This record gives sequence, C-alpha cells and structure tokens, in this order.
Amino acid sequence: MNQAAALPPQSDEIVAIRGLRKSYGKLEVLKGIDISVRRGEVVVVLGPSGSGKSTMLRCVNFLETFEHGTITVDGRPVGYKTVNGTRKQVSETENASLREHVGMVFQSYNLFPHRTVLQNVMMGPVKVKGIATATARDIAMRLLGKVGMDHKADAYPGRLSGGQQQRVAIARALAMEPSVMLFDEVTSALDPELVGEVLKVMRELAEEGMTMIVVTHEMGFARGVADRVVFMDGGVVVEEGPPGDIMAAPKTDRFRGFLSRHLSEEG
Amino acid sequence: MFPVLQSNLPYLLQGAVYTVILSVIVVSCGTVLGVGVGVLAAVGGNILRSLITAYIFIFRGVPVLVVMFLGFYSFPAVGLRLDAYTAVAVSMIVYVGAFVAEATRGAIAAVAAGQTEAAKSLGMRKGMIMREIVLPQAMRLLIAPVLNIALMAIKQTSYASIVGAWELSFAAREVVERTLAAFQIFLGVMIIYFVICYPLSLAARALEKRLAFDH
Repeated sequence: MNQAAALPPQSDEIVAIRGLRKSYGKLEVLKGIDISVRRGEVVVVLGPSGSGKSTMLRCVNFLETFEHGTITVDGRPVGYKTVNGTRKQVSETENASLREHVGMVFQSYNLFPHRTVLQNVMMGPVKVKGIATATARDIAMRLLGKVGMDHKADAYPGRLSGGQQQRVAIARALAMEPSVMLFDEVTSALDPELVGEVLKVMRELAEEGMTMIVVTHEMGFARGVADRVVFMDGGVVVEEGPPGDIMAAPKTDRFRGFLSRHLSEEG
Repeated sequence: MFPVLQSNLPYLLQGAVYTVILSVIVVSCGTVLGVGVGVLAAVGGNILRSLITAYIFIFRGVPVLVVMFLGFYSFPAVGLRLDAYTAVAVSMIVYVGAFVAEATRGAIAAVAAGQTEAAKSLGMRKGMIMREIVLPQAMRLLIAPVLNIALMAIKQTSYASIVGAWELSFAAREVVERTLAAFQIFLGVMIIYFVICYPLSLAARALEKRLAFDH
C-alpha cells in the first residue's frame, strides 16, 4: 500500500487542506494545517486530545466553519469560495451536494433511532440521490452484508451493541458511494472487546482502495493500515510520513512522548 | 346515596358534553397551531423567531382568564360579534398554542445535534433533515408535555362559565344554587372531569409506546 508514496505529489489529489485556521473566540485551535490526500490513500491522524484533529476532520465536511485557508474535495471548494478576491460562504445547497461525496462516521454513531438498520442505510440513496427503493434496498443489503450486519437489517439501532451500530453507520456512509471516508474517533466510545470488529471493517475498506482520513487513538491500526500518519499537536501538523518510518523513529520529542505514552498503554 | 346528585346527573352530563366539545376544539386546534408555530421558530429567520418568542412569552405570562376576558370584550370592539363559546374557544386556542409552541421548540432542540450532523453528512438539505430526522424524533418527546398542556386546558374550560358560556361548571353552579347540595354536586363534577381527562392520559401513554424506537 505504501506504493502510493512513490507517486508524484498532487497527482490524483482528493482532499487538499491548505493553510487551514480556525478559532473558537480567542482560542485558535487550528493554526495553519496543510494536508493532502491522494485517491486510495489511507491517512491516519494521531494526536493528543485537544490537538485539533477532530476539528480539522469536521472542517473537511464543513460541519465546522473556518476563518482562513481553503479545503477542496475532488477539486470543489468546501465551505467558501473566492469571488473577485473576496471570500464568500457557499450556499447550503452547494455544501449539501458536496457532502454527498464525503462519507463521515462519528464517535457516537449517530444512527437515526426512529428508523431500522436497513432504512438508515437506504436513507441517503433514496432521499438524497433519488434512487428507486428496490435498487436502494439491494445496495443497502449488499453493504450490510459487507459489514456483517445483514442479519439485523430490520432491527432498530437501539437494540444493537455499539460495535454493531458503528458498522451500520459505516454502511450508511458507504451507501452514498463517497470519494473519501472520514472517520472521527469511531472506536473511542466502544467497549474494548467491540473495537476489533469495527477496525476489521475499516481495514477491509482500506484494502479495497477506499480513500480514508482516520482520526484515531488506535496505534495498531495506524501502523498496520495507514499509508501515511499525520501527527498533530497544538493545532499544527508536527510530523507526517509513512508509519514504518515516523512511528519507528519519531523526529520530534512531542511525537516520541505521545507514542511512548500510548504504546505503554497498549502493552 | 347522593339523591340530589342522582336526580341532577343528566343535567350535569349535558354540561359535560359542552365541556368535551370545547376541550376537543381547543386542544386539537391549539396543538396544531402550537406545533406549527414551534416548527416555524426552529426553521425561520430572525425576525420570525423574535415575533414567535414575543407571542410565546406574552401568553405564557398571562392568566387564561384574562385572555378570555380580553377576547370576549375586544372582539366586539373591532366589530366582530362572537358568541361566548367562539370567543372562549379562540382565546384558549391562542393561549394553548403558545404553550405547545414552546414545548415544540424545546423538543426540537432536545433532538441530539449529532442527528443533524449525520443527516448533513449524507448530503440531506435543511428542510429534509427537519422532516425526516428531527421532527419524527421531536414528536415523541412532545407527547408528555402536550398531554400536560391538554389536561390543563380541559380544566381551564371551566373558566368559560365566567363569560357566560354554559358548560359543566356552569351547570354545577346552577344546580348548587338551586339545591344547596354543594358537596354532592361538586363531588360528581370532580368525577366527571376525571373521567374526561383519564382516557387522554391512557391514549398519550399508548401513543408514546407506539412511537418508541426500540420495538
């Protein structure tokens, strides 16, 4: 998978984050982030709590506004565009149509509790894409099979374990056939014994060539699956590179400290 | 037992019919108005939201009796001659609507923000998110508060007698003045009000169960 690193930079770029800055009031949480993600690449973002990694990810989907910098997905601007030299927020409709191509999975699953598992997965294709119900059902059942949840198609989310809900949430995002999948600490709310089943689904997705940005604390996943690891701290990218290089030989004290704390936890 | 109550029961029940009709009109129209206004407050612009906030705060801060008097005496002033029933019904619908609107706004706000974010991530537009995701969940949260408001409103229809609309309380007072059997009659009236209100509580509980998420 690390062959991707051999490609010339910028080729087939799906997500481009340039000079991203964001503040909450006086507190600047993102202080100029540059990240570029190529098609088929799996980028894992590591960092301590409060490093801004989740905020950065949410900006890619414009669930957060930002003050400076640009983000593009598939070449289309996210959130803002420059018209005659001034920065203007794009319309809600444009954001919505952009989000159709960006799948997102959340820490707290956020399945729709009033809809069955199958209806959750069909919701995007039917309501947003206008696909016929029968076709959408086939798509949904195939994806549920893929995440091992087809046997619970008619259950309501409230009856599922956290790991099961998260796998359905992944299927729901995949149903829109996104060009990139964003994972926001998707295993952090899970009981330890349920983490594996979700990571397995994500690993399979990566092997199929899905473009992914994964914010996580799972060091094993970063080492085993990532094409590139980005380490963020204090609102900036501190280090990035292939996991085999930078996780084995971190260049900065901050990353070294972070790794030793987390690796000792994993035992 | 209670001979005076027994002989006057048919008369009281006749009054109860008016109470029920008035209650059904006030509660159903007030709920529809309130839910509509509450949803508008959630999706509308700033001006609309301020207007709705003003409506809610004014009517929540005023006794229903005062609203009724105002309705009863102010409609004729603007050349609108309404009978007591209509004046009471209109006043109470507006009053109940304010409470339901505030409950609706609260229920919409209580739907987890993550739900909207997940819907947005699928590319859903604002109106669709409200219709498909937020409102179905908010409606379930709305049942309990609306039941409370409805029960309050049913009992407040007894104020209608003060502006001359004949109903259960009015009938009761007439009988008491004639027979002086206040204890028997008001005991009967109490039971009749309870019999009107209780099924509503049962219906609300059944509805809540039907709309539960984990069937």
